[in-house]
Amino acid sequence: MSTLDDLVTEFARLPGVGRKTAQRLAHHLVQQPGERLARLAQALVQVAERVRPCTVCGNLAEADRCPICLDPRRDAGLVCVVEEPAAVASLERAGEFRGTYHVLGGRLDPLSGVGPEALRLEQLVARVRAGGVREVILATNPSMEGEVTATYVQQLLAGQDIRVSRLARGLPMGGDLEYVDGVTLAHALSARQELR
Amino acid sequence: MRLTRLTVRGVRNLADGTLELPAAGAVLLGANGQGKTSLLEAMAFPVLFRSFRTAMDAEVVRFGEPGFHIGVAFEDGARARTVAATFRLLGRRKQIEVDGVPTRRLVDAAGAWLAVVFAPEDVQLAAGAATGRRLYLDRTLALADPRYLATLARYRSALAQRNAALRQGRADLAAAFDLPLADAGAAVVSRRLAWVQAAGEQFTTGLVALGEQSGEATLGYHGAVELADPAAWGERLVQAAPRDLARRATTVGPHRDDLDLRLGGRLLRDYGSTGQQRTAAVALKLLELDTIERATGRCPALLLDDVFAELDPERQARLAARLFGGRSAQVFITAPRPDELPRGLALPVWRVSRGQCQPGD
Ligand SMILES: Nc1ncnc2c1ncn2[C@@H]1O[C@H](COP(=O)(O)OP(=O)(O)O)[C@@H](O)[C@H]1O
Ligand SMILES: [Mg+2]
Ligand SMILES: [Zn+2]
Repeated sequence: MSTLDDLVTEFARLPGVGRKTAQRLAHHLVQQPGERLARLAQALVQVAERVRPCTVCGNLAEADRCPICLDPRRDAGLVCVVEEPAAVASLERAGEFRGTYHVLGGRLDPLSGVGPEALRLEQLVARVRAGGVREVILATNPSMEGEVTATYVQQLLAGQDIRVSRLARGLPMGGDLEYVDGVTLAHALSARQELR
Repeated sequence: MRLTRLTVRGVRNLADGTLELPAAGAVLLGANGQGKTSLLEAMAFPVLFRSFRTAMDAEVVRFGEPGFHIGVAFEDGARARTVAATFRLLGRRKQIEVDGVPTRRLVDAAGAWLAVVFAPEDVQLAAGAATGRRLYLDRTLALADPRYLATLARYRSALAQRNAALRQGRADLAAAFDLPLADAGAAVVSRRLAWVQAAGEQFTTGLVALGEQSGEATLGYHGAVELADPAAWGERLVQAAPRDLARRATTVGPHRDDLDLRLGGRLLRDYGSTGQQRTAAVALKLLELDTIERATGRCPALLLDDVFAELDPERQARLAARLFGGRSAQVFITAPRPDELPRGLALPVWRVSRGQCQPGD
């Protein structure tokens, strides 16, 4: 049945989904009532039509600007640089941050053919040049490529009269020291804080 | 460390199934091509999740099979543990489990089970190319200290990214990876240097103990030793930049270094006799064993593949004394015939025939 095979192929392209899971999903779906499938199809069509990158920060948006850039209570002088929109979602869930974001759309990764021109770096520099930004917080992932990207952005902004900071790397809360890997422990040690 | 059970599926010519193994170890007797080396290969695989015979997991898969599974159950002191690896040709995927729990990172599984292999091809450590000696050094240090493995992995990924950028002709993008390259690279060089310094004397006395008297044996490090300091990298990388771009690869760093093995001041690789090279290789393997024992406080199993057959009776006796004296390691030792084994070895005898292995006499 080629229609079903097409669906399986599409599912298998999703991250973390293998051929077997794709098959299970597809077979589950075809046994659902038609209206449920129609709702799912409708949701997909709407995502494709409406969701696009925010013209300011690159986050997911349904209009020209995302809700965060549109929110007047957010501090536009504070820009948190992340790799992907998913990181915006995690930081928003934490609920601490009252500034705005800049989504690069990836990280420097020559092995996958990603160089600086593939990232939204010019837009970041333009935002800073336009004025009003006091601090850029680099919140790329704590991987080697994430660190390299952060350093690259830092050098790119070196001439600007703003503060550039990096997210602290440390121990996960609610964890046991015994289960923390050596690299994380070493970072947490070197970034230790004095108690007063 | 005592291997209590070995489970194999789809490995070379070995029969699928589980072997319950004697605590002391065993002599594995069998004619050529029966599967003795394959058995040791399976036992050693879950140490660093690679074969000592090949860098390609696919070669371990029995012809026509979709993949292989190797599991070991062992005693680490009073603790009963398991480590397993499953490899599938499709997608070249390797899955690792430690004590029944899947592990994503090699660092968390490496060296849980410890064994040291002595094999005839070890002679390449003294006679062959630098790659083999670097691999030896990296394996030994990784098993002695898991942080070394983590650092090495970081160095390798920085190097791979940097080289990818150079292949694209992007010097600026390559330079972005200089920092992690220098950081991890310096740690690799400094750890290797510390080991060479500590092991040098033992290498010298080790060769004498193995009966080599034609000159003083020395162990040194061949490479840019100043790179043990991360601050020294900047200038070196800038100097090498035009060459790196022309060759489309990073030409500075410990991935190009080597061990320097000499006898009477002459390079063993170029001037040593086969006998001298073999003895030096055995001395290096003994160093590996001692390094791991000292660093971990544990006693790796010894997997000896036809090693005594290559030596004269005098050297056989010396090696046997060095391996078995003062150590109660579990020993698996292969030989085509009982008369090719050192005397006085009190181990149960198992027979290997057409990939089947069972107790026999
Ligand atoms: N991937 C493979 N699949 C099936 N058989 C293999 C594979 N690789 C090697 N063999 C065969 O396995 C047999 C056992 O080899 P080996 O373990 O080296 O024997 P021994 O050490 O007893 O001389 C040999 O006959 C060899 O041809
Ligand atoms: Mg063999
Ligand atoms: Zn926005």
